[in-house]
Amino acid sequence: MTEAAAVETSKESQIRSARRWKLIRALLPIAGLILMIIFFNYETNGRLLKHLPLAMSQVYVIMIASMGVFFIMTMGGLDFSQGSILGLSCIVVCAVSKYSIPLAILAGIATGAAIGAVNGYFYVRRKIKSFIVTICTMFLFRGLIKYLTTNSPVAGSPQLLMIDSTTFKVVCTAAVVAVGFVIFTFTKFGVYLKAIGAGEQAAKFAGIRTDRMKFMVYVLSGAITGFAAFISAIKIGSVTSSGGNMLETQILIALVLGGMPISGGAMARFGNCVVGSLLYVVLLSGLTMMGFTPQLMQLIQGIVFLVFVAIFADRDSLTVIK
Amino acid sequence: MSEEQGLQIRHLCKSFGITKALKDVSFDIAKGEVHALIGENGSGKSTLTNMLTGIYSIDSGTFTLDGKDVHPKNQVDANNQGISIIVQELGTLSGLTVAENIFLGHEERFIHAGFIRDTKAMNAEADRLLRLYGFERIKASNLVDDYNFEDRKLIEIVKATYFHPRIVVIDETTTALSQEGREELYKHMARIRREGGTVIFISHDLPEVLDKSDTITILRDGTYIDTVRSKDVNEEQLKKLMVGREMTGSYYRSDYGEKVSDEVVLSVKHVSVPGIIHDVSFDLHRGEILGFGGLSESGMHEVGKAVFGASFDRVGEVSLADGTQINDIPTAIAHSIAYTSKDRDNESVVINQSIRDNIALPSLDRLGIGKTGLLNWRKINDFADKYAKEMSVKMVAVDQFVSELSGGNKQKVVLARWIGKGSDIVVLDSPTRGIDIKVKQDIYQLMDQMRKQGKSIIMISEELMELIGMCDRIIIMKDGALNGEVKRSRELNENNLIEMMV
Repeated sequence: MTEAAAVETSKESQIRSARRWKLIRALLPIAGLILMIIFFNYETNGRLLKHLPLAMSQVYVIMIASMGVFFIMTMGGLDFSQGSILGLSCIVVCAVSKYSIPLAILAGIATGAAIGAVNGYFYVRRKIKSFIVTICTMFLFRGLIKYLTTNSPVAGSPQLLMIDSTTFKVVCTAAVVAVGFVIFTFTKFGVYLKAIGAGEQAAKFAGIRTDRMKFMVYVLSGAITGFAAFISAIKIGSVTSSGGNMLETQILIALVLGGMPISGGAMARFGNCVVGSLLYVVLLSGLTMMGFTPQLMQLIQGIVFLVFVAIFADRDSLTVIK
Repeated sequence: MSEEQGLQIRHLCKSFGITKALKDVSFDIAKGEVHALIGENGSGKSTLTNMLTGIYSIDSGTFTLDGKDVHPKNQVDANNQGISIIVQELGTLSGLTVAENIFLGHEERFIHAGFIRDTKAMNAEADRLLRLYGFERIKASNLVDDYNFEDRKLIEIVKATYFHPRIVVIDETTTALSQEGREELYKHMARIRREGGTVIFISHDLPEVLDKSDTITILRDGTYIDTVRSKDVNEEQLKKLMVGREMTGSYYRSDYGEKVSDEVVLSVKHVSVPGIIHDVSFDLHRGEILGFGGLSESGMHEVGKAVFGASFDRVGEVSLADGTQINDIPTAIAHSIAYTSKDRDNESVVINQSIRDNIALPSLDRLGIGKTGLLNWRKINDFADKYAKEMSVKMVAVDQFVSELSGGNKQKVVLARWIGKGSDIVVLDSPTRGIDIKVKQDIYQLMDQMRKQGKSIIMISEELMELIGMCDRIIIMKDGALNGEVKRSRELNENNLIEMMV
């Protein structure tokens, strides 16, 4: 019996240590954020913190859009079409803003949702892997953006630029993130998303309408990025053919930096997208202030991305990426 | 018998991460015997044989076969050293012919001039072997995909034994076979033994172990317990050695002749699923345990899915007493139907998820803050904890991941989910598959309790003994259709059912 008791206690200590690792894993991105701020602030002789408000102007769009992708990745999917969604929604926002600003916001959201619905349709109904579908739609809608901006950038109403203020963007971002947090943590939606990511078939057998959920999450993610397009439009006021370019990669890097497991599932935490976006922007501004050229920065970002994916990939469940 | 003969296992250890699967195991297996290896799930039986056959690497310790150390790098290497294995699940590769499967890894015999494969000679040799084994109906040049599970197991027997290996490991193969296939396997076990080879036989089925083996070694929690002669022990003693304590209470339910209510709670009318089942109709009564038996491909597993609304392309009607039609899973769950799948890891538990979420998933609507639609995590925690404890799930806390649990405890988590949900109609597909005796007993007792509370159970199982032991009524299926029905009785035995199955 003593032997059996010893086995039990060793099992318990194993699980304790596993739990400790889980906690460390959760805190690591926050610690990383603080360390990175301290590091870059030191390297740039305090310029980082001085110019922080300016640096943060890049964070709003990424943080809002990354929340939608966070939902998608939690259920085990991927989305590479975010950049094209942002670009096209921006064009729509700018075009409609000449008539009415509120209408422009709604139109932007609707455009994003519509592209999300296209993604969702091919992913869920036609059963094509999400990364293939969204690479296709990325390419397709990038083409449409280029066509629409052939002669000149699409300019929005001058009123758009007048709305732009840090307070407004902070409030908007905070509101979106707060709503997202509550929905993810305190409603069935979040639990269902994680369950689909952790074992879709079993989630279905537990009564979750998985197909409907998957479709709706793509629509939702598109809509969220459609709203991010409005934030982007008030900052720039017009859209060129490269509008929203590379957003999908920026989001992915941000999420991975935030500790998001690539395969989603139960280990996803809402903090991943918030902390991750901040980390990404601090990294970006820090490198810029240290005087790296854009070309070199892309290289460094790529290396950081790869290293983090390698560290955080949960190899047992990598096969579930849909 | 000299000291050098047979297989000596010395100080064998194996860890997977933080889990120690085998702890300093040493024992001998004599040449020319059928040596059974038994133990509960996770006791280390398969770990040991997988190391012997080169599937896992050896952490420390040695295998000495006929005086020589063996240390296979992979399965082909193990074959070359005279060791082969027949595994529990499918061991043949789809897309290859029967002959290619039999000679997988050993094609060099048929290769001329370095790279030209003599397919004709290979097929001829495979056909000769198949004839020798008495499996003429299997043709060497056909794809293995043309054969069913049972025949593919026979092909594996040929593959594992044609080269007269010194040791053949048979890992839980019989659970997947029908009576006929089992007899075939026993015949070859006897032949290998007669020819001086050794069989290591892993099985959960104790009567089978006692009947077919010479010697039995018992493992528990990765440690060696004892080696006994089969003729010196009985089933009860083996159970005690495996579990490490006395088994008390009855195993199956003990009542006979109780009247089952006439109240129909669920009726299935003319249900067909293309290619799997056709025209299945039956009624389930209040407080009844209705069994479904048959061969694995008889369609009985699909009946469970059909009742739960989980079948693709189903026609026909599944309805409750109040006339509600069950056509999809959410409707089924909302109307108090529960289902546990045979495919536990994929279809029952959300594997990479906590015990808490697994138990609470279908009950979240009840665990909110008032009517706000927001979740109350304290309530959810308490709810999961309550039902996990009620089912005595072996865990530290409910936030532990299900993937860390053994098969039996995973099953308990699923049962806790449906008991928590309060389901009145419970469909259990192979509820005790691959589960050790102690948990099996728990599940049987739970079923008996639920029955007494007036819940109705459909139990689908490939194990005839448990159907006979637990059910009020057993329906036997064959080729996708109902093929007979028997009532609960003391006189019922396996042979009565097998006649209807094949």
